[in-house]
Amino acid sequence: MFGFLIKRLLLLIPVFLAVSVVIFLIIHLVPGDPVDHLIQIGSSPEQKAELIARIGLDQPLLVQYGAWFMKVVTGDFGDAIVLRRPVASLIAENLPHSLWLGGLAFAFSTIVGVATGALAAVYKDSWIDRGVMVLILMGSTVPSFWLGLLLILVFAVHLGWFPVSGARNWTALVLPVMTIGLQGVALVSRVTRAAMLDIARKDFVLLLHAKGVSRREIQLRHVLRHALLPVVTILSLRIGWIVGGAVTIEFVFARPGLGSLLITALNQRDYPVVQGCLLILAMAVMLGTLLGDLLQAAMDPRIRENMQ
Amino acid sequence: MKNPFRSFGVFILAAASVSVMTGLSPAWAQDATFVLNARENGAPSYNPIKSTKVNLGMRLIFDRLVDQDADQSFHGLLATSWESSADGMNWTFRLRPGVKFHDGEPFNAKVIEWWIPQFKGTPNAFMTEAIDRVVVVDDLTVRFVMKNPDPSLLFNLATAFMGIPSPKAYDALGDRFGVTAAVGTGPFRLESFTIGQQTKLVRNDDYKWASALSKNRGAAKIRRLTLREINEDSTAFLELKTGGVDMLMGVSSDFQPRIRDEKSLKLVVLPGTEVFYMPINTSVEPFTDIKVREAVALAVNQKEIMSGLFGNQGAVANNFLISSLQESKIDPKFNISYNPVRARRLLDEAGWVVGAGGARAKAGVPLTVKLWTQNGTQFKRITEVIQAQLKAVGVNAVLTIQDPASINAMYRNKTDHQLAVRSYDYTNADILDWFFSGKRLGYPNVSMWNDPKAEVLNEKAMKGSRTWEERVTNFKAYHEYVQSQWVYAPIYQPTQTFAFNQTRLSVPDTVRGIRMTVQSIMDVEVK
Repeated sequence: MFGFLIKRLLLLIPVFLAVSVVIFLIIHLVPGDPVDHLIQIGSSPEQKAELIARIGLDQPLLVQYGAWFMKVVTGDFGDAIVLRRPVASLIAENLPHSLWLGGLAFAFSTIVGVATGALAAVYKDSWIDRGVMVLILMGSTVPSFWLGLLLILVFAVHLGWFPVSGARNWTALVLPVMTIGLQGVALVSRVTRAAMLDIARKDFVLLLHAKGVSRREIQLRHVLRHALLPVVTILSLRIGWIVGGAVTIEFVFARPGLGSLLITALNQRDYPVVQGCLLILAMAVMLGTLLGDLLQAAMDPRIRENMQ
Repeated sequence: MKNPFRSFGVFILAAASVSVMTGLSPAWAQDATFVLNARENGAPSYNPIKSTKVNLGMRLIFDRLVDQDADQSFHGLLATSWESSADGMNWTFRLRPGVKFHDGEPFNAKVIEWWIPQFKGTPNAFMTEAIDRVVVVDDLTVRFVMKNPDPSLLFNLATAFMGIPSPKAYDALGDRFGVTAAVGTGPFRLESFTIGQQTKLVRNDDYKWASALSKNRGAAKIRRLTLREINEDSTAFLELKTGGVDMLMGVSSDFQPRIRDEKSLKLVVLPGTEVFYMPINTSVEPFTDIKVREAVALAVNQKEIMSGLFGNQGAVANNFLISSLQESKIDPKFNISYNPVRARRLLDEAGWVVGAGGARAKAGVPLTVKLWTQNGTQFKRITEVIQAQLKAVGVNAVLTIQDPASINAMYRNKTDHQLAVRSYDYTNADILDWFFSGKRLGYPNVSMWNDPKAEVLNEKAMKGSRTWEERVTNFKAYHEYVQSQWVYAPIYQPTQTFAFNQTRLSVPDTVRGIRMTVQSIMDVEVK
């Protein structure tokens, strides 16, 4: 297991290298550059050329990539061109907001999703099951933008329970967490229900029934435990999303976060910021996937054996 | 026995009455929250010298030498008076006495001597390019010795980019100035700034030098002002409706009727500073033919756009400049207005004849053109209407919509685009140089227009004018020539709007200045 972990960590290095190249190329090949946001109405073409040279955008792409990558490996993401401050400090300012929002939404969707999925599976074809299916359908099809505005209208405008937007205190987190969480609930609930129904058809479950084990114990201790394996897989893929997947919600609720920072930087073509944010997101996905694999190994001895 | 609770209640009532009479209202009652106009969101710092994007906060933290009113007149702010020599080569400014920066440092002529050279090498260098050197005449008098006459000097000095920072703080903080701290002489001090989120300002209690554009010449009436940045119009509107914020500095046309319906809210409409227009790429077919250019320009029905999309709010645009500028008052024969009959005749004369289905063609080539615009609801709507209007005269326009950064880069390819719908927000006739100078082909000169006569007229307007009046005359001549060459089609001038909670705020009926900005905010009271 330890060997597997070391091997996976070492594999991250070439993956990181490849990802950095892709990230760098993508943003530099998209039309536009940051200079348009740094020149004023009235400035001359010569001033623009001087600015381009000062930023280093006139250098060959390979030279620019090398300079940036050498900084990154020393932990320096460089300075934002348009936003004019260290990229690391911009990320440090925004990342905690994303982690709180994404983390709480992740926890909400996991707990509520597993619970509702399990209930739906246990009470299959009952009104509980049908209610959960409606929830799944709505969560999968309703756009998050629209859902967010609807929650604002009901809970902030009409009921006045929570603020409309911003990040002033914990109350401002509730509606955004619910917006993202409800969509996550739909996914987790669906996967849990399907997995539990699948496991419930297995021979060992039939044997447990024959042995007289209580239905509650069968469902909670045996079926659910096995059903969580695919759920963990889905959840591990969503870990990276915690960090940067809430862009729309940050926009609707006027909240800071890595997603908002990324969109602002993309619109301004602020290359160092875009590259820094995407690297963080990529690392989050890579580590999330690794964590998911380790969790699965911890839960399933067959996977542990294969690793060894 | 007397009821002790009644006595206590009377005491409280009396204390409250006294506090009201003495104006000792609770501190929070003097606090207000404004939502910035979405155009101003994302300003990266409060460094007026190096910034290319500013917001309202810049004007509240930093004073300028002069202020500009909506009628284009200039009023003293940190300068009490000024005069220019007859040849425009010397400008003398007398400075206001008793002004201090937020860090206690004095404002005087030495500050100006330090300040002007700071612009060298910055994106705003062009604003002081014409100034050769600053001469300190005495503690409160400076003279700008010019390299060449610059009649737009006062305009530049009135812009937010020419807010004056404290030399001591500026030198000490270096690149961090405007990021972690910003020190000016303005009516508000910077308390905190989170980029893309909010700026918190606190009143400068020592302030007593507002311009004559404000009724209140002393300290601002708002004690603490928070400027929030909200990109989503629905969210901003709901914040205003629920009392989460007190004023929206810009209101999209979709929400204006909703605000009018709310009794607690008030919508204020001001003359606009923006123009929507359609540049025509003069370097590619079929627009190398001036008749075709004139035809597409005349096909644009400005009134239909204003009434259909904007509820008749705003003004049609018939030339390139906002109507409050003197340089926009050109000979009416040069103004461009909808004339589909003439448009069709011109296309016929140019050889683009109507075929089956109403589409035009010439030598077997259909009259199909590319019509580009940036993403955004207003741009998309206007462009779709123009597409239909062009079709009505037999021009088939194919839409392309891109994000602003991409489309500006695509314009630089110079020959890919043919027509585009764009806008600008600027209050100086210099904008003609920016968009039509032959030195900037592709972008921002999307019309790809490089005309020798235009360059001569432009040079004369930009650098050959000694006085403001001369400048107006020269710019009018240049403007008229631009109009005569049909290098673009004017479309629409939107209004500026702001909305506020009238149960919370008392806002002056007359808004001085070009926008709702520091001059009027000085007079805003929290009820």
